[in-house]
Amino acid sequence: MCNCNNNMYIPYPMRIAKITDEAPSVKTFRLEFANPDDKDKFSFKAGQFGEYSVYGEGESTFCIASSPTRKDYIECTFRQAGRVTNALANCEEGDIIGFRGPYGNTFPIDQWKGKNIVFIAGGIGLPPIRCVIWNALDLRDNFNDITIVYGARKVEDLVYKHELAEWEARKDVNLLVTVDPGGETPDWKGKVGFVPAILKEAAPSAQNSVALVCGPPIMIKLSLPVLFELGFNEDSIFTTLENRMKCGIGKCGHCTVGPYYVCKDGPVLSYRELMALPQEY
Amino acid sequence: MNELKTINKDKLHQLFDKLIADGNDVIAPKRKSEKVFFGKIISSSDICYDYIQTAFSAKSSVFPKCEELFSYEKNDNEIKHLDPVFSDKTTIVFGSRPCDSASFDYLKVFFLKENPDFHFAKRYDSTLLISMTCNKSDEHCFCTSVGISPSDTKGSDVSLTDLENGEFLAEIISDKGKKFVADYSSFFENKGDISQKSNKNAKVDIKFDLDKLKTKIKGSFDWDTWDKQSLACLGCGACAFACPTCTCFDIQDEASPKSGSRIRIWDTCALSLFTLHASGHNPRENQAGRWRNRVLHKFEYTDTKFDMVSCVGCGRCIKTCPASMNIINQVISIMEA
Repeated sequence: MCNCNNNMYIPYPMRIAKITDEAPSVKTFRLEFANPDDKDKFSFKAGQFGEYSVYGEGESTFCIASSPTRKDYIECTFRQAGRVTNALANCEEGDIIGFRGPYGNTFPIDQWKGKNIVFIAGGIGLPPIRCVIWNALDLRDNFNDITIVYGARKVEDLVYKHELAEWEARKDVNLLVTVDPGGETPDWKGKVGFVPAILKEAAPSAQNSVALVCGPPIMIKLSLPVLFELGFNEDSIFTTLENRMKCGIGKCGHCTVGPYYVCKDGPVLSYRELMALPQEY
Repeated sequence: MNELKTINKDKLHQLFDKLIADGNDVIAPKRKSEKVFFGKIISSSDICYDYIQTAFSAKSSVFPKCEELFSYEKNDNEIKHLDPVFSDKTTIVFGSRPCDSASFDYLKVFFLKENPDFHFAKRYDSTLLISMTCNKSDEHCFCTSVGISPSDTKGSDVSLTDLENGEFLAEIISDKGKKFVADYSSFFENKGDISQKSNKNAKVDIKFDLDKLKTKIKGSFDWDTWDKQSLACLGCGACAFACPTCTCFDIQDEASPKSGSRIRIWDTCALSLFTLHASGHNPRENQAGRWRNRVLHKFEYTDTKFDMVSCVGCGRCIKTCPASMNIINQVISIMEA
């Protein structure tokens, strides 16, 4: 007998406390535990993800985009792309959806005390990193310089616009927001250019620093040489992977990259770990 | 040494009829037109003995093709989740061949070793496996190449050998098997000679050297031979659905917003949709990559992870493939590369 009495597929019922329209087809949900007991039992760390579900439609996988330092809720940001995300987008504040998690490994943020952190994100790649940004900002004294380079194709595609303004106003954050050439609006005051170019211009020091990169594959590919040129190495660059997932707990087989399960062995990887993976992501 | 007993066919049938009468499920080989399938029997007379191998393994008794993960009822802001109801009776699986019984050993490790799977555990714990060693084999059998044999008792609770004289030799393998035989001791006789077994069991030639394969397969991911090897593959997934060790599944809702179930159903890495992202990006973009994943998963990945090759040499994928893909030829070509 294995004495396994826990049906791990049963989600926590979550109440949608707040919906924010971030960009066309992109929304953020703030979710509160419908049962206070669940909230007390629940904890997670930066980098983890979960399965969000609309009853009758199915489950979808997103990172937890809020910081573990904010304990009253979790947030997720998603783009409408299929059946479940469309159903989620039709939900209203006050509705109940399902959430199970947290799953996966975490950013080793505890090891980054006293370090500079450089965040590099593109488009909808910001949510997984925003979790770490707020985690670091909420424990600001633990870290040295914080640099954020964020870009999107067009101004309207930038997510967390209010938070970008908030970070911009802070003296302890060096924020560079950019849009691709042609994506600017007449009143755009930020940068124009691709993320790797803006990163090169910003030239954050690699001394005592770590870099987190998340975004479209082409942005990651072109940002890496810039980071290496700046002096970052295989162990000081981190990313978070995404693959199609169903179970989140290493059983269903969907997210495998060779012998690795993104859901269990990832999603957070150092550049060194990423390079050891076969090309299946 | 395993405890030995014998049971004659009449007693065996009386035993099954009693088990059925007591409310247990008995799953046994049944003839359905040309082929023999595992199915629930309502009488011992339903059992078919004339088969080398059933068309599908008995995997679905512990990991059904489609099963409910939970059901729910939802009213406005109230949601109630319910575990599926599992029978408190025993499911007796009778007549699985040594390859299929060995697959239960693998399934047990896969589903229960880490993050124990609730649904599998419930079914596995209430299943008793009375296997039947092989007195015949066919040209697709290759159990001996993956460390199993026609007389193997691995994974079984009780292993029977047909002595072809109306009697079966019964080897009591597991604690579950011991308890079962003790509970129904009046059906068994306290005799039995293990030497009778080897006279009856089939011989299956070894088709490849597993240790050599395990060495050669490491690093084969980047070979360009996968393209050629997979040319015939239609990506239909028939091999995976016939496979006793394939475990991949999809999760879907079968429901209305007010009530329904979240279910899991067999899925397979052979299908292009299996890895397709919502963005349209597909990390395993062609059939070569999918076929490679199947082969490496069976012979390299699970060996690294669990110290178990997840192929039991039943040969069903070869028999089932509409395009004549042959896993034996595939692994031989890896070894010869």
